[in-house]
Amino acid sequence: MLGLEDNSAGALSVFIGNVRNRGRSGNVSEIYYEAYSEMAEQEMREIEKEAQTKWGIKKLVAIHRIGNIKVGESSIIIGVSSEHRHEAFEACKYIINNVKTRVPIWKKEISRESQKWADGILLE
Amino acid sequence: MRSDIQDNEKIKVKLFAILRERVGESEITITVPSGITVNHLNSEILKKYPQLKSFSNKFVTSVNCKVTTGDTVITSKDEVALLPPVSGG
Repeated sequence: MLGLEDNSAGALSVFIGNVRNRGRSGNVSEIYYEAYSEMAEQEMREIEKEAQTKWGIKKLVAIHRIGNIKVGESSIIIGVSSEHRHEAFEACKYIINNVKTRVPIWKKEISRESQKWADGILLE
Repeated sequence: MRSDIQDNEKIKVKLFAILRERVGESEITITVPSGITVNHLNSEILKKYPQLKSFSNKFVTSVNCKVTTGDTVITSKDEVALLPPVSGG
C-alpha cells in the first residue's frame, strides 16, 4: 500500500483526512485549499525528516491535495511504515499535527450560502 | 552628487488566501529604497493597499521560503511572501 511495504517493517499506519459537511461557519459543501507550493514542499520535507529521526521509520508518504475538494473526499494522506506499531502511530500523529501548524496551506469553507477562510494558526 | 540620490528597488511580494483576495492579485510590486527591512516593506505595503490594514497583525512575512523577523533586510533578488494564519490538513 502506497509503496510503504518493507520487509523490516512490521507496522504500517495510514492517516487520511476527509472533508466533512460541518465547519466552523456551518454547513460545508466543499473546501478550497490553496498553498504556497515551494515553501509548503520544503516544510513538509523538513517535518518528514524530523519524524524519521525521532522514530527511525522505514518508509513514509505524505500528500496534501489543493484546489476544490468536496465533502467526503480526502484532502490529506499520510502513511508510515516502521518496525513496530508504536513508532508508526506516533510518527503519523506527529506529521499531521505539524502539517496543520507549520505548512503554508489555507482552506476556505464553501457552502451554498457563504465562503469563509478558516481562522488558522500564525506561522512562527 | 550621486550619493544624494537613494537607489530604489522593485520588490515582488506574493500574496495568499484572504490577503490575495482583498488585493485582487497574487503578486504585487513595491518600489522601495535599497536596504529596506521587512518592517519597512510591510508598512509601505499597508500604505499602498489600505484594505490590508485590518490584517496587519494577522500575517507573517517569509523571505526565500523562511519566516523572518522585522529587521531582515530585503533585496529585489529575494522571494518575499505575506502569509496569513495557516489551516492545512
